[in-house]
Amino acid sequence: MDWVFLSELAINGALTGLLYSLFAIGLVLIYKASSVPNLAQGGLTMVGAYVVLALSHDAGLPLWLAIPLAAVIMFGLGFGIERVALRRLAGRPVIMILMLTLGLDIFLRGTTLAIWGGTSRSIELGVSYEPLFLGDLFISRIHLVGAGVAVALFVAFMLFFRTRTGIKLRAIADDYMASWSVGISVEHGVGLSWALASVVAVATGVIWGEIQGVDQALSLLLLKGLTVAVLGGLDSILGAIVAGIILGVIENVGAEFLDPLVGGGSRELIVAAVLILTVMIRPHGLFGRHDIERV
Amino acid sequence: MQEKAEAAPILSMNSVEVLYDNIMLAIKGVSIQVPTGEMIALLGSNGAGKSTTLKAISGLLKAERGRISRGEIAFQGTDITEVLAQNRVGMGICHVIEGRRVFEHLTPDENLTAAAPRGMSRSALNAEKEKIYNYFPRLAERRNSQAGYLSGGEQQMLAIGRALVTQPSLLMLDEPSLGLAPFLVEEIFGILQKINREEGMSVLLVEQNALAALEIVSQGYLIENGRVVMHGTAEALKSNSDIQEFYLGGGEGTNFHNVKHYSRRKRWLS
Repeated sequence: MDWVFLSELAINGALTGLLYSLFAIGLVLIYKASSVPNLAQGGLTMVGAYVVLALSHDAGLPLWLAIPLAAVIMFGLGFGIERVALRRLAGRPVIMILMLTLGLDIFLRGTTLAIWGGTSRSIELGVSYEPLFLGDLFISRIHLVGAGVAVALFVAFMLFFRTRTGIKLRAIADDYMASWSVGISVEHGVGLSWALASVVAVATGVIWGEIQGVDQALSLLLLKGLTVAVLGGLDSILGAIVAGIILGVIENVGAEFLDPLVGGGSRELIVAAVLILTVMIRPHGLFGRHDIERV
Repeated sequence: MQEKAEAAPILSMNSVEVLYDNIMLAIKGVSIQVPTGEMIALLGSNGAGKSTTLKAISGLLKAERGRISRGEIAFQGTDITEVLAQNRVGMGICHVIEGRRVFEHLTPDENLTAAAPRGMSRSALNAEKEKIYNYFPRLAERRNSQAGYLSGGEQQMLAIGRALVTQPSLLMLDEPSLGLAPFLVEEIFGILQKINREEGMSVLLVEQNALAALEIVSQGYLIENGRVVMHGTAEALKSNSDIQEFYLGGGEGTNFHNVKHYSRRKRWLS
């Protein structure tokens, strides 16, 4: 095993990992504002990609217009989900909201299947498939673009959570009742977090749609995204980025060694092992908030 | 004092009944009035309906599936029975809920920011924060640490400070003395009194610690079993023998050998 090959595996793994981070950021946004892991993020991502396709391929808009427009539509959809479904459950046990997001995911998958069918379609972002050579290293351009988007969103949201609106969202995640008591509109805050997560879903859907095509499989990103979010600590955007890189590298390098031994498919096993071990050993993840217990 | 009491009350609650889950009657026709600019105490034992009364006024009942089934609440002359909790805060009612409930994962400074009303300018917010840090110098020292790790007293101060950011004209506090050392209770009550005097803010204080509460308020209501059973000035309540025995810990020189317990029940409990 030579070092060039190993670092190439690691770098491409890290880039793929940042694409998982992109997905995980959507999960973290909602968790930060309502303490609920959103199991529908996979469905939202897929819907985001389909909306972009509908606007560009079907309606004939150029991509530079279709993507922002899709972001606006999805922003509205996020607010709509809160208004129609989540508002009734505000203050109910988390498990009920969790089940609701699961139902929503199934609903979104069913809807996209009914409208757009099951065949895979592609989004042409116009990024060259020519690999980029960094010395001897060989790097995928689209992964690089996606990783750039992930880092840009990371910076944007880090800044956002320091603004007054961002602080109010974090306050809502801490305590609904106390938020109401000082006049914070919990409903509006949760809606905003869903809207922002839906916008992130468009970015995720476009990048992943370019890489693996747009079809039902896009919603399965949830498994890796959730693993990254849990490893990073569910409410930490920095955690999502760091954990994405870690998971990507472990997965890419690990699979290279394990695949020959088990005859392929070890990627999924590695992801599953990371998820299970995180929950067992460090349930609040790398950067997640601890539940404060004062004695 | 006499003139103040005759001015229009900032809050008037008229035979209000509250139902939880449509079946449990938590308060049964409570009427209270808070004269503008005064401090009023609601006293009573556990489960008497004091907290429910405050939640009915702040609108937080809804979050616990409670509702006002009868009566009405007027704030500054406007009926607010149907107004949403968050809009009541905008009107000037702020409720410091029981158990402090600071935003644990935020810093004290962020806790204050979170409560800023919509449209408050940055400079106004900073001025407000400075004012609050002046009232509570302990908070100023710890403004950038995590609120969850503040001491109980500091958290209570933060909860009050957070409520002050909303610029209330009626501040309601639910058991601010709970679990605090007596010297802290004294300090916090002293500050409340100062705020009440300096800003003319009306205060409605729910307390089990009647002894401490009656020192700073002008009037008190005693609630038992969801009903107001006694109302009077702080002086009158302090000298009432029932209050002394049940809430202030024994009357003067009671000889316990001679007390006939069965005859000294809380007989207003019907």
